[in-house]
Amino acid sequence: MRTSAIIPAFRPTFRCLSRRTTPLLSPARPIHPRSSQTALFSTTAPLLKRSKKGEQKKDIRITAIQYHLRHPLNPRPLRLSRLRALRHWTIHRAWQLHKAASRRAHELELERQYNSMRDACEALRLIGDDGMPASAGTPGGTMGKELGRLYRVAMEKKGVWAGVPIEYARMQVDYPSREGWNHGWTR
Amino acid sequence: MALRELGSIFGLASRSGTRPVVRCANLPIRRYASTDATQDLEPASSFSAPPPSEDIVKSYDPVAQSRRRGRRLPPSRYQFRPPKYYRGPLHPHQPPPPSDPSSRVFQPGPFSLPRLEQTYQSTIQPDLMTLAYTHFPPGYTAPPKGARLRSWEGASPYFKNRPLRGPRGSDVLRLLRQPTTFRNVPKLTGVTVHSMVKEANEDPAVLDVAKMVVQAITNARTKVHKARMSVIQWGHREGRVVSVTADLTGEDMYHFLGKTIDVVLPRIKDWKGVKGSSGDSSGNLTFGLSAENVASFPEIEVNYDMYPPKMIPGCHVTVHTSATNDRDARLLLSSIGIPFYGKLVD
Repeated sequence: MRTSAIIPAFRPTFRCLSRRTTPLLSPARPIHPRSSQTALFSTTAPLLKRSKKGEQKKDIRITAIQYHLRHPLNPRPLRLSRLRALRHWTIHRAWQLHKAASRRAHELELERQYNSMRDACEALRLIGDDGMPASAGTPGGTMGKELGRLYRVAMEKKGVWAGVPIEYARMQVDYPSREGWNHGWTR
Repeated sequence: MALRELGSIFGLASRSGTRPVVRCANLPIRRYASTDATQDLEPASSFSAPPPSEDIVKSYDPVAQSRRRGRRLPPSRYQFRPPKYYRGPLHPHQPPPPSDPSSRVFQPGPFSLPRLEQTYQSTIQPDLMTLAYTHFPPGYTAPPKGARLRSWEGASPYFKNRPLRGPRGSDVLRLLRQPTTFRNVPKLTGVTVHSMVKEANEDPAVLDVAKMVVQAITNARTKVHKARMSVIQWGHREGRVVSVTADLTGEDMYHFLGKTIDVVLPRIKDWKGVKGSSGDSSGNLTFGLSAENVASFPEIEVNYDMYPPKMIPGCHVTVHTSATNDRDARLLLSSIGIPFYGKLVD
């Protein structure tokens, strides 16, 4: 890419060295990007480069985007000294351990919920006709309409796969506060 | 080279413009220290300490000491250079692990804990597990299923040793669905943002703008794809670059989905939701965003003038989940906040 084409786009970001070394005492003259080649304070039509037939002038924003895409600020691999590498390693290990511990705690919590759900369903399944838990292993009581009704209701999957109401997906945030709404507020 | 050119040009410009040299000469010398530095210095110095005793001086012989040591001390600087290319597991020169900052693939972070991730862990995951729970009494064993691939039945001698027949209805062997337990609750595994720009066939600069837009909204480097075949109706020619994708995982994925769900999707006018027939029947759902919707991403919106007019592309967003069928994936996405409309196809 030719440098001269992109210069006007990046004029504000670059400053010459002499200007950078000067302290910020005097308000530096604002550097305007030269938007076109026209001279200031002139009413004469400027002589621009003659354009070929059908050639369109490229948008300067495209040029700027292309410049930034092709000059990636990829840093080179970090080289740490011995102590710094050790420090990094220690922090990294601690972070990994913390992550593993919290992940393990979360898994255990899920497992606990699942197990209690399973136990509740098992208790429902084993409930007798009279509403009392039957003897372990076999559903007790006489065979009636009510036998195992709660279990059957609990096992229904009607409407589950249709999705959850959209209000469920409300983002969990730190507000509204515990009070909710201040009804006594007046201007 | 470019920078050197820039410097010379700017140098010329400054010389012809203002007179920085004169200005520099007129400036007074300033100190930025708030106190007199000599007051902060400690009066005691090591010069006032007594010199080492006679026997220490006698016994100090660094050359002999290093000879006695027998092994080299490690250098103080970190001198390892990771290999540029991975040459296989048997090569003696192995790259460091990716968590090592000297590795070339080292990525610092994560720098944030996305809200969506926290919500998923605290609420959505247990709820999905509860919704999809199926009870199996103790001692239950699932009845054995038949072979999924059928054998060729018939009198033809060519059926012998022929590869097994595909499943009934399609040639694709679908993924199996296991009952949901606490181990396999569906979760988000990745997001692919894909943007095909038809105009890039004529002018590749349009694709650069698309690249920048996708990078801005996803915070990930994009990949460019070429057209595999020529399609005359679309103006595609084989080998021309036509599309960009960005693959997101982890932190980036959660941030992107959070932005999309909470900022972009609610602002779409008359949006019914994602079509219910979306999905590849293995748990990956896709929806599209038009150019106006992409422009309403906060990163684009704050800097809208940076992009040339009418060059902001639309894109397709594919959400990859660990679910093995579309039904579970749709339940996950709707619990995250993406509505679905129309006939739900599994």
